[in-house]
Amino acid sequence: MKKLRVATGHLQGCFGCHMALLDLHEDLIALLDSIDLVRSPINDVKSVPKVELGILDGALCNSSNLALAKEFRKKAGKILAFGTCAAFGGINGLRNLFSLEEVLGRAYVETESTIKGKVPSSPDIPGMLPHVRAVHQEIQVDYVLPGCPPTPRMIKAVLSDIIGNKEPDIPQKNLCHECNRKHKEMYIPKREFVTNSVHAIMELDEIDPEKCFLEQGLLCMGPATREGCEARCVKGNVPCRGCMGPTTGALEQGAKMINALASILPAGAMMFMEDVVGVGYRYSLPVSIFPYREDK
Amino acid sequence: MSDSGMNRDMRAVARTGLFMSEGEGEISRIIDLKSLARHYKKSFPVLTFRNLHSSGSLDSIRAEVKQKRLDSVVLAGESPLFYSTTRNGDLLLRILQDAGINSNRIAIVNLKEQAALPHRTVPAEATKKARALIDVGLEKVRLSKDVGMIEVAPKKTVAVIGTTAAGLFAAQRLLERGFHIFFIDRVMMRDVSAYKTDVMPTLAYVKRHSDAIFHDSPLEELYGYAGNFRIKLKDGVNLRAGGIVVAIEDDLEFTERLYPFLRLERDNEGYFKTIFSDTSVTETVNPGIFLIPHGTSFATTIASADSAAMSLDTLLKRHSIRHELFVSEVDADICGGCGTCIKTCLFHAAELDPVSKLSSTNIKRCVGCGNCVSACPTGARDQVSANTEYLLSAIKILSSYEPPGGIKLLYLVCEGCGYHSLDYAGREGLEYPTSVMPLSVRCAGRIDTQFILEAFREGFSGVVICKCAEDRCLNIVGNTDLDRRANLFRAVLNSRGISPERLRIFGVSDCDGSSCVKGAVDFIEHLGKMGRG
Repeated sequence: MKKLRVATGHLQGCFGCHMALLDLHEDLIALLDSIDLVRSPINDVKSVPKVELGILDGALCNSSNLALAKEFRKKAGKILAFGTCAAFGGINGLRNLFSLEEVLGRAYVETESTIKGKVPSSPDIPGMLPHVRAVHQEIQVDYVLPGCPPTPRMIKAVLSDIIGNKEPDIPQKNLCHECNRKHKEMYIPKREFVTNSVHAIMELDEIDPEKCFLEQGLLCMGPATREGCEARCVKGNVPCRGCMGPTTGALEQGAKMINALASILPAGAMMFMEDVVGVGYRYSLPVSIFPYREDK
Repeated sequence: MSDSGMNRDMRAVARTGLFMSEGEGEISRIIDLKSLARHYKKSFPVLTFRNLHSSGSLDSIRAEVKQKRLDSVVLAGESPLFYSTTRNGDLLLRILQDAGINSNRIAIVNLKEQAALPHRTVPAEATKKARALIDVGLEKVRLSKDVGMIEVAPKKTVAVIGTTAAGLFAAQRLLERGFHIFFIDRVMMRDVSAYKTDVMPTLAYVKRHSDAIFHDSPLEELYGYAGNFRIKLKDGVNLRAGGIVVAIEDDLEFTERLYPFLRLERDNEGYFKTIFSDTSVTETVNPGIFLIPHGTSFATTIASADSAAMSLDTLLKRHSIRHELFVSEVDADICGGCGTCIKTCLFHAAELDPVSKLSSTNIKRCVGCGNCVSACPTGARDQVSANTEYLLSAIKILSSYEPPGGIKLLYLVCEGCGYHSLDYAGREGLEYPTSVMPLSVRCAGRIDTQFILEAFREGFSGVVICKCAEDRCLNIVGNTDLDRRANLFRAVLNSRGISPERLRIFGVSDCDGSSCVKGAVDFIEHLGKMGRG
């Protein structure tokens, strides 16, 4: 059987998505029967050869990322935006809430441990893009697989589909669908908030591992977040932070979550308690309706 | 929007007809309908009439629909209120429906009160604005699907709320026509002795009639529609009624208590009111619920009671009543069963199967307000009457109009109070800048914060939401839910460098044109001072 020629490339991110490829374990051996990984940061090939599939993880943050993404587009038949940063800009995107000067100043000058710091300005260092962007916002993308990182099961399924020339099937519902926590208040048709108070996780001595987080007054992004992650965080007793991005029917996560919360949790408490913006747009700011702070 | 973009859209709606009204000159005097007709004729059948409701116009419209086999229609001229509150307007809608056009494929564009009357000194700008409004109407029918309907076999029972003189007279008339009656009141029987002795025979007739039953337990639930209302009382009694007569005179306290159940419009003093029309004396915004207006002479009150009885007799003797399902719909591929809609819907119309984790809409209870559509964090829910895709597209189209001065306001008006108020402003002859771009939504609760971000992205300088004042929301919690959402949302605006001052929410009562206009004018001035940011 002819193997699919694949190249992978890393843009801006934590490299976790590439590591997640290795999480396929034994399945990786089977997968390598049908793909030929000709270029990746793992095998340290710098140039991008002609391939049938290019897999990009990470967001577009600087000129080097952009150049690599464009190179991939030229050389690859199909492009898979792999992982949350590639799909939505990911956590990198939160810098869009600040100007470039503020970001660089904070990183190189204002940190508490820095004395006489200055922003590096060598021409050898790739210049920062004014705003972080998702891969599809600069080059045409054929497939998108979100996840921080994507689960081995989803990676395997999506790659198998692409190898078999099928459109990958990404789940469309929200996380509540695959979350097994028990709902009680959320299902009672009564115009009352599910709790009287809103808590930060560290405030509570104990978090009920079986009960819906929202019903415990903990902000969980599950309702506004696509399923497919196998609810790993909620199984680990940590509320969803939204890494899978918005569902198919929503334009963005932040506004949608606010709309929903208005009838679930006491808004007054939330306004003082929570960083509404940070919670709502943690992973998807660059693909939100208004993807950056307008410069004044 | 560029011309090429519009043309592409227009091809997709080739079977839409555009009928424009000169408003007896009130519209055509200001807006250049001829140039608009020339523009739209490139893509649609367009007819312009002196008015849309004379028999000549009706015949031509009927013929045009048939000849061109139209499946959707845009009526540009009078306010939607003309169609919902006058017999002339109602007749036109019925003719269109009889000609096979689904109600949801009829868009009404209010050229008169939103473009002509308030901008009569700037006709050229009014015409440009009119074009944007018509484009929105065309987009509405392009993106709307047919509304489904059910046939209801009407119950031959009428609930009379209030054992007042008027209530008793209406009951007698209906009993004489073979209906069953049950009274609901805060007491078993009011003291009607203050009235003329003329009431006594009626009282005796009703009291002795075996088909009249009296209840004094408070309402616990009331839902359904003309032909089949379901009523539950606190004492556990369940009742069904085809129609309801509200005859509570000037009992304001009782009005307050009934309001969440009946959801009728109220006047500025807080009393229920009928729809504004000399020809619909007892009809209310809720079909099947009839109101005997208070504060009239004894003779008028009795005549109103007769009118309500006559209307109910006509309605409930029908073989079946058509009920259009302007409800909230669920996309089963997206809904994950989080339960947000269950918490949001005051009317208990959102239901959820905990096993399949799929929500659904109880069509008997859904009032179609769209609050659950806003609340749904997945976008699985959508409103049949004004779907999300249409509203987003409308915002984009409205932003394409470039007013003199450069400051553009998106003016989101709820169909309850905001729309009426803006109409009043037009009729009262209050002028305001053409940069106020109105978009009507069913209820303030339908306003998704995504729309606000979208408006700023499309270049609006400010967003105004004109909602019902405090306790006047016809959907009871739509206005307060909007406030909660907006309060949380201000942090989002701030984070994008958009001053939250650029979002203003006005609570108005339903005929408060002047504060609506003053608010807009002040806001535009304020935005001018703010500059960018």
